[in-house]
Amino acid sequence: MNIKVFLLALAFMYLGVPLLLGDNNYLIGMIASALIVAGIAVAWALLGNLGGMVSFGHAAFFGVGAYTSAILTMDYGVPVFVALVLGGIGASLSSIFMMPALRLRGPYFALAILAYAEIFKILATEATGLTGGGGGLLSIPSLPVFAGIDFGTKLGGYIVILNIVTLMVITYFFIRRSSYGLALKAMHDSELATRIVGVPATYLKIVMLVVSAFMTGAVGAFNAHYINFLEPDYAFSGTWTVFPIVAAIFGGYRTLSGPVIGALFIYLIDQLVFKNLLPQGHQLILGVMLTGMIVLSPSGLLPIITNLFTRTRGKQHA
Amino acid sequence: MLKVKDLCVSFGGVRALQNVSFEVQQHEVLGLVGPNGAGKTTSFNVLSGIVKPTAGEVTYNGHDILKSSMHQRVTHGIGRTFQIPQPMHELTVRENLIVSQRFGRPDGKVKHQRIDEILKSVNLLHKAESDAATGLALTERKALEVAKALATEPTLLMLDEVLAGLETTSKKQFMETLKEIRKQYSLSMIVIEHDIETIMKLCDRVVVFNFGKVIADGDPEETFRNPEVVRSYTGEVHA
Repeated sequence: MNIKVFLLALAFMYLGVPLLLGDNNYLIGMIASALIVAGIAVAWALLGNLGGMVSFGHAAFFGVGAYTSAILTMDYGVPVFVALVLGGIGASLSSIFMMPALRLRGPYFALAILAYAEIFKILATEATGLTGGGGGLLSIPSLPVFAGIDFGTKLGGYIVILNIVTLMVITYFFIRRSSYGLALKAMHDSELATRIVGVPATYLKIVMLVVSAFMTGAVGAFNAHYINFLEPDYAFSGTWTVFPIVAAIFGGYRTLSGPVIGALFIYLIDQLVFKNLLPQGHQLILGVMLTGMIVLSPSGLLPIITNLFTRTRGKQHA
Repeated sequence: MLKVKDLCVSFGGVRALQNVSFEVQQHEVLGLVGPNGAGKTTSFNVLSGIVKPTAGEVTYNGHDILKSSMHQRVTHGIGRTFQIPQPMHELTVRENLIVSQRFGRPDGKVKHQRIDEILKSVNLLHKAESDAATGLALTERKALEVAKALATEPTLLMLDEVLAGLETTSKKQFMETLKEIRKQYSLSMIVIEHDIETIMKLCDRVVVFNFGKVIADGDPEETFRNPEVVRSYTGEVHA
């Protein structure tokens, strides 16, 4: 996606969506939820694309970020926007415990991370004094009024999560185009080739894990203040891992905007169409769609859109 | 410069290297020869940090490099190539060298002029923007392998069968390129090679491996007259 298309898409998200749907809390809320998935999908794709680490444990970062932010605001009076950042930092710190898993590769890494995610869920359930245990945390402070804007509304929440996801995509862009990004991109398929020319592969993987955890934690923290409620089964639910993976792969996890496009498409079509068609088990259709996408276009949805766009422009010029 | 002393490597019950010792002096080209499975590539793998030895010492310019990680050894000045080229997939030829310079040089600086110079010296300048994994022929992939190592600005370059698989003309041209590179960058080299003619033309000295042991070390011409070497390396016995 070139910069013009990116800026147009951004302008539409910042101006078009609020102007067209600002009064429709249901749809705005739905798009905000899709952006939550998009945020995790970007963080997941960053780790997968740059460094070649397939994680099944992003729910852990999401949950830790959510609990960190909720506890800091409820018990220590930390302002919500500061707590969102601290939620990200909390998730980054939790990722340090996962570093031994970086010695593993491929499916072994994925499974080890999945196991770590389960440990954090158990901790959240057992540490009742801090997390409220299985009963969870109620009345988590909403997003505040800031500079005269009430971010506690559906539209306010949408703007906040849009800011978070935009910042994440921009960060991803700058990491990817740096020399670190080049090395990480090369590590995806040829780690030995990078190590042998001096790339400190393990160190770079650690940095990517910490960055990815921070991003996911910040999104989790946002979600806690957006829905004002947390309990371990929800905060550490496998949904926070599976949905973003499906979205990222569907959109094209090796591209910058693929995970966002994938998340918006998958989440909205699932909630607005498939759920009405098949109230029970509607996610089965997503599975079929993902399989079809992998067979037809393994690089995801974005290359299909780009090809269509190029062909249309080609016909216009002809 | 490089001192390898009593190096031992075991893979389970297999003793891949047994008390291997050799040295490489500054600006010297050392050939490692011997039959398949003799321990040549294992020696490279130990020197570059891929394999941990079970015993022995390796010093490079006085540093105990066995304590260094793989990427630290590169910044100490040790570069290597692989018999099967290992391009960095998804990057162009130039990007391969950018990453090598950025991370392989001690100061981490990327010098684009130097990259062009290296690409020119290995005849790859015209392919600089090609995809490293799919856009190169075998000779070019081998050249990229050397170029990547050169981009880290090594003082010791280890070449693992870099001429293997090339047809005669390409092999001759490539050998001339290696000679030029040696001169241009004042390199010491260790060369693993099966082709005796190449070894004779390129190397100042050879070390012969057999069954994980060094069985000879000396001037190439004299060494290849050594009956034990002939027996182990070629399978022939000279009267």
